[in-house]
Amino acid sequence: MTTQNHSAGPTRRAFLALSAATAGLASLGMEAWAENRVAIDVDAMSNSDLSTDVLVIGGGMAGLFAAVKAHDAGAATMIVSKGRLGSSGLTPFGKGFFVFDPETETGTIDDFVETVSRSALGTNNPVYTRQVAEHSLDRARELRDWGFFDQTLANRPFMRPIDERGIPLMERVVITHLIKEDGRIAGAAGFRLDAGETVTVRARSVILCTGAGGFKPNGFPVCDLTHDGTVMAYEIGAKVTGKEWNDGHSTRSVNPAACFDSWGDMFERVPATNGVDVHHDLGVDINYRAYVTGNPVEGGPGAPQPTEEIEGGPYVPQEFQHSGPPGGGGAPGKGGAPGKGGAPGGPPPGFSAGSNVGGASAGMAIHKSEGLVPMDARCASNIPGLYAAGDALGSHMAGGIYTQVGSSLAGSAVQGAIAGEAAAEYARSVDAPTIPEARIAGIRNEILAPLRREAGYGPAWVTQTLQGIMIPNFVLYIKKGSMMQAALAYIEELRDHHAPMLRAADMHELRLAHETRNMILSAEMKLRASLMRTESRCSHYRLDYPEPDDENWRAWINIYKGADGSMQLEKQPFGTWPA
Amino acid sequence: MTIKSINGCIGCEECVKSCPCDVIRIDPDSGKAVIAYPADCQICHLCRMYCPVDAIEMAPEKSIPVVVPWG
Repeated sequence: MTTQNHSAGPTRRAFLALSAATAGLASLGMEAWAENRVAIDVDAMSNSDLSTDVLVIGGGMAGLFAAVKAHDAGAATMIVSKGRLGSSGLTPFGKGFFVFDPETETGTIDDFVETVSRSALGTNNPVYTRQVAEHSLDRARELRDWGFFDQTLANRPFMRPIDERGIPLMERVVITHLIKEDGRIAGAAGFRLDAGETVTVRARSVILCTGAGGFKPNGFPVCDLTHDGTVMAYEIGAKVTGKEWNDGHSTRSVNPAACFDSWGDMFERVPATNGVDVHHDLGVDINYRAYVTGNPVEGGPGAPQPTEEIEGGPYVPQEFQHSGPPGGGGAPGKGGAPGKGGAPGGPPPGFSAGSNVGGASAGMAIHKSEGLVPMDARCASNIPGLYAAGDALGSHMAGGIYTQVGSSLAGSAVQGAIAGEAAAEYARSVDAPTIPEARIAGIRNEILAPLRREAGYGPAWVTQTLQGIMIPNFVLYIKKGSMMQAALAYIEELRDHHAPMLRAADMHELRLAHETRNMILSAEMKLRASLMRTESRCSHYRLDYPEPDDENWRAWINIYKGADGSMQLEKQPFGTWPA
Repeated sequence: MTIKSINGCIGCEECVKSCPCDVIRIDPDSGKAVIAYPADCQICHLCRMYCPVDAIEMAPEKSIPVVVPWG
């Protein structure tokens, strides 16, 4: 099923030499507008043309299970990842895996779903909440067989089932485009980081396991995720949800970008399973406290947590109050997060110094709450043949706030498996897609455009400009209509006059250019959804609408591209599927 | 500095592959890993953890100014 045609292009070794020669220049790439010192002969670049039944994009927990289950259901399956299997996205850093084991739990699955729904204030989709509980034990058993719970690093255990099945795996390939033909998915296209080469994959079905993303924030290991899957799917007509929610992880005021140091020894821990433990956690409480009272100069690990009550702020249901210290607990993994107590008089060994600073994961929503709108319980999008799983699917499994500890990793495994089987079934029902050559040529031109510009804006500079607009506490977290309108005007400027003029000198910078464009569109989605939701609920907090509004806002917000190309938003009532 | 230094590299490319942000490349002349794009390091230490000969030393400072919500 898999074919490969290489035309002439530079050898890998020659290419690496070019890259190394320009690395000095690229590392200085904070220049705003500048000449583009391109190191590659763009016209000599080759194209790799492949085909498969099911294409899985992304190499984390969701991608692993999507590929394994699609293969086991009889489909020719291929994985493509811009990083390495088990070593990119958030999967390497999730150490807690939720398992609902009927043998050890005292409550039922019904009890679990009801508890999550009370904490989530109705924002969760109970079908997906139940699904993670029902399937988590089976997925954990498979992971145990592959050795996942015996080591710190996920690559080797992830490779076991892939090698055993002989599933083709392409790493360090950046997918930038989904291809739709005749009203259904037809494949995807992108480029290699290690060769001057574009890649086209024709597929009957595609599963996005691309994770969520952020604004390359400082203090959370999500800088390689920029909502790529969401934006690619939006561009071909998919509906997107959950953009108004905010993840509330914090970092440290001293060396805030040092995310390893902010988590103690967590990144070096061996993953483990955990049972039912429902919170209402990691919203924007510390952001509100800092906004109203100023941030404590000392705080976080080793320092007493602030205990005085402050007026207003995010609503927390009574039964979930004081369930954990601000900024502590929850994903990724159980315990050990910044904010957990420690020895008085300073941070515990392994933690960096300073007080807590919110917004470590700026640009990311609660796990599983943002991404493609599911049309059913099997991870289907509104584009026939296009599925999503894990953080790329807006399943609202947990809701707009963190509820079940360790469910992020488990949810990705469970949804990946379900999407894999659904995609294989779909692939059997359709003919191989036909993609006109002119369409592929047009996409190649779009992919390579930043390399062809004689001058342009540096992606690093545009990214930092976007961060300065979006990340401040008074824009992204403590929201007001006027401030978000102002931010939107800036973001529209980046969208209309900077995204089309991004430059790239090499394949690394080409990746940054596409990621930057995706972050600009994600910022627009976040602002428009946050403006539309004129209430406060879970991790979405508006100073001008500080209370939950059950009369008008028991609804999710879906975003899609209108016929005129503009961003459109609509409500979908909680507890319903799209019309 | 993010990645502070790479000393004793054996050229196995584990760090190149395991870096989520494509910070490290192999120098074609020496065949050893070099810090090609330090500005993009997210200081997650995966390269250090995957390195089979403990060649990589990390530092907590970012090489470019950072934007945080406050402070």
